[in-house]
Amino acid sequence: MKQLPKYLPLAPVFAAYVVMFLIAENMEGMWQLMSMLLFYCALGQAFNVFMGMTGYVDFGYVAFLGMGTYGMALSITRLVQYEFLGVWIIVIGFALAMVMSTLLSMAVGAVALRLRGAYFAIATIGVNEGFRFLIEGARIWNGSEGMIFTADLNTILGREAAAALCTYWADIMVLVIAALAASVTLFYMRTKVGYALTALREDEDAAKVMGINVTKFKIIAFITSASLAGLLGATAWALKTPYVFPPEVFEIHYTIEAIIIAMLGGAGTLLGPVVGGLVYGLSKYYLSIFLPGFQLLIFAPVILVIIVLFPEGIVGMLKARTKGTGVERFIV
Amino acid sequence: MFFEQLGGNLIQGVVLGAVYGMATMGLSLIFGVLKVVNVGHGAFIMVGAFVTLFLFSSLGISPIIAVPVAFMVGMGLGLIFYYTTIRKLIKAPELATLLATFSMGVLLEELVKLVFGSEFRGYNWEVGKIDLGITVLPMAKLYACAGSILIAVLLFLWFKKTRAGSAVRSVVEDSEGARVCGINVGGAYALSFSLGIGLTVASGVLLTMFIPVGINPYMGGGYTLKAFVIAVLGGLSSPYGAFFGGLVFGLIENGSYTLFAYIPGVEPFALTRFLSFVILLVILLIRPTGILSAK
Repeated sequence: MKQLPKYLPLAPVFAAYVVMFLIAENMEGMWQLMSMLLFYCALGQAFNVFMGMTGYVDFGYVAFLGMGTYGMALSITRLVQYEFLGVWIIVIGFALAMVMSTLLSMAVGAVALRLRGAYFAIATIGVNEGFRFLIEGARIWNGSEGMIFTADLNTILGREAAAALCTYWADIMVLVIAALAASVTLFYMRTKVGYALTALREDEDAAKVMGINVTKFKIIAFITSASLAGLLGATAWALKTPYVFPPEVFEIHYTIEAIIIAMLGGAGTLLGPVVGGLVYGLSKYYLSIFLPGFQLLIFAPVILVIIVLFPEGIVGMLKARTKGTGVERFIV
Repeated sequence: MFFEQLGGNLIQGVVLGAVYGMATMGLSLIFGVLKVVNVGHGAFIMVGAFVTLFLFSSLGISPIIAVPVAFMVGMGLGLIFYYTTIRKLIKAPELATLLATFSMGVLLEELVKLVFGSEFRGYNWEVGKIDLGITVLPMAKLYACAGSILIAVLLFLWFKKTRAGSAVRSVVEDSEGARVCGINVGGAYALSFSLGIGLTVASGVLLTMFIPVGINPYMGGGYTLKAFVIAVLGGLSSPYGAFFGGLVFGLIENGSYTLFAYIPGVEPFALTRFLSFVILLVILLIRPTGILSAK
C-alpha cells in the first residue's frame, strides 16, 4: 500500500476520462463532442511527453499521426485479400502504425536530436510537408489520390461490425490511448527518465556535465511521443474516417492544436493536456457554432498572452496556488 | 535539347534565387542579432503579397511602389510584435520565442483570411518579356531580381556605413560590451527585428512576380521551409550568407526539377519540395554552420 500514492495523480486524469465516457454514453447527442474532446486530450497528452518534458518543440509532430494513419490504411488495404486474418488485420494495423511512426521518429530524431533549441525546431518544421511531398511526388501509397478503405473494412468485419468500429470502438480506443499516454507520462515522471528530462529541460549543459546521457533520454521521450501519435492517427483518423489523403494527415494545423493544448494546460504537467484539451476542445466547439471560422484567430493571440504572461499554463498556476494544501499531490 | 532545357531552367533559377535570398535576409538578420528564430516567417511574406495585391488590384498602384509600402508595413508590424511580445521573451527559454513567432504567423494568416478570404488570388503586371533563346524571362521577374540585389546592397551599405548599422553589428559581436560602450542594446534589438520583418514583408512583393495566381493567406508555410533551408545554407545568422544561399537554392530547385521531370511516373514539383527538406536535414547533420560560412 505504501507504493500506491506514487501513482495517485493519475486519479483526476482517469476520473476526467471516465466522466467524459459516461456523459457520452448516457446523454443524447453528446457522443460527438466527447469524442472530439478525448481526441484533443489524447493529442495533448502524447505531444506533451516530448515537448512538455524536454522543452523542445517539434513543429512536424503531425507527421507521426500521419504515419500512423498510413500504417492502419496500408494494413487494411493490402491485407484485405487474406480473409483468414479477419479482425487481426486491425491489430496488425496498430502494430504497423506504431512501427512506422517509430521508424520516422528514429530517422528524424537521428538528425534533429543532435541539434539544440532553435536548430531542432528548424529541422522538424519541414518533416510533415517533406513527407507529404515525398508521398505525392514519388506516388508511393497511391500518391496524392490517397486511399479510401470503407469497402475493405466492410469486407473484413462485415457491414455492421465495421460501422460499430467507426462510430463506437474507435472512440473507445482513443480513450485507451489517452489513458495510456497519461500513464506513460506519470511513469516517466516518477522514474529516472523524468528526472533526467527535467534536468535537461532546465539546463542541458549542466545535465550533461552531471553525467546524464541527454541524447538517450531525448530519444526515449521523442520515440514514445511519436509512437503514441502513431496509435492516435491509426484510431482517430484511419478507423474513425476510413480514408487517408496526404494533405489532410500532414496538415500543420494539428501541430498548432497540440501546441495550444499543451501550453494552455501547462507544458510538462500530467494534468495539463487534459485541462488544455477540455478548454480548447470546448471553446473550439462552441466557437464553431457561434463564430464559425474564427477559432484560430482567437487562439493565436491567446497563446501569445499565455507565453508572455502565464508561461506555466492553467495547471502550472493551480500548482502554485495549491502548494502546501491537501490537493497538492493530485496536481502534477 | 536536355542541356538547353537545363540551361533555361538554371537561368530562371538564378533569377528566382536572388529573390529567395532577399526573402531570407530578414530571417537571418533577426536570428543573427536577437537569436530568435522567426517560425512565422512565411506569414510575413504572405502579408507582403497581399499588400501588393491590394495596391495593384484595388488602387492600380505599381508593384514597384508596393516594395517601400510593404517595407513600412513590415517595420510597423515588427515594432508592434517586438514591443508587445519579443522584448519580454528575449531572456526566456527558446521555446517561448519559437511558440510566440509561430503564433504571430497564425494570427496574421487568420487576420488576412478574415479580410481577404481564403481563395487563391493573383494579379497580372504586364511589362513585357525578353526572349533569351533557351528560355523566356518576363520583365517582372527581372525587376524582382534587380530589386532583390539592390535591397541586398542597400542593407550591406547600411550595416557598414551608418551609425545604427555599426551599433547593431557591435551588439551581434558582444551585447554586454556594446551596453558598456553606451549603445542602446534594446533599441538595436527593436531596430533589427523590425528591419528584419520589413525586409521579409518587402520580399513578399517581389515573390508575387513568380506566382501568377498563388496568393493565399496560407501560402507562407512553403516559404518558411524554403527560407530555413536557405538560411541554414548561408549559416543562419548572416544576411549575406542568406542571399547567396538563396542563389544556390534557386539553382538546386530549378535544376532538380528538370532532372525529376525525366523520371517517369513521379510528380517533379512535389519531389523538389521533398528535396529541399532533405537538403535541410543533410546540412544540419554535416555542417550546421552552413556550407557557405568561411569558418
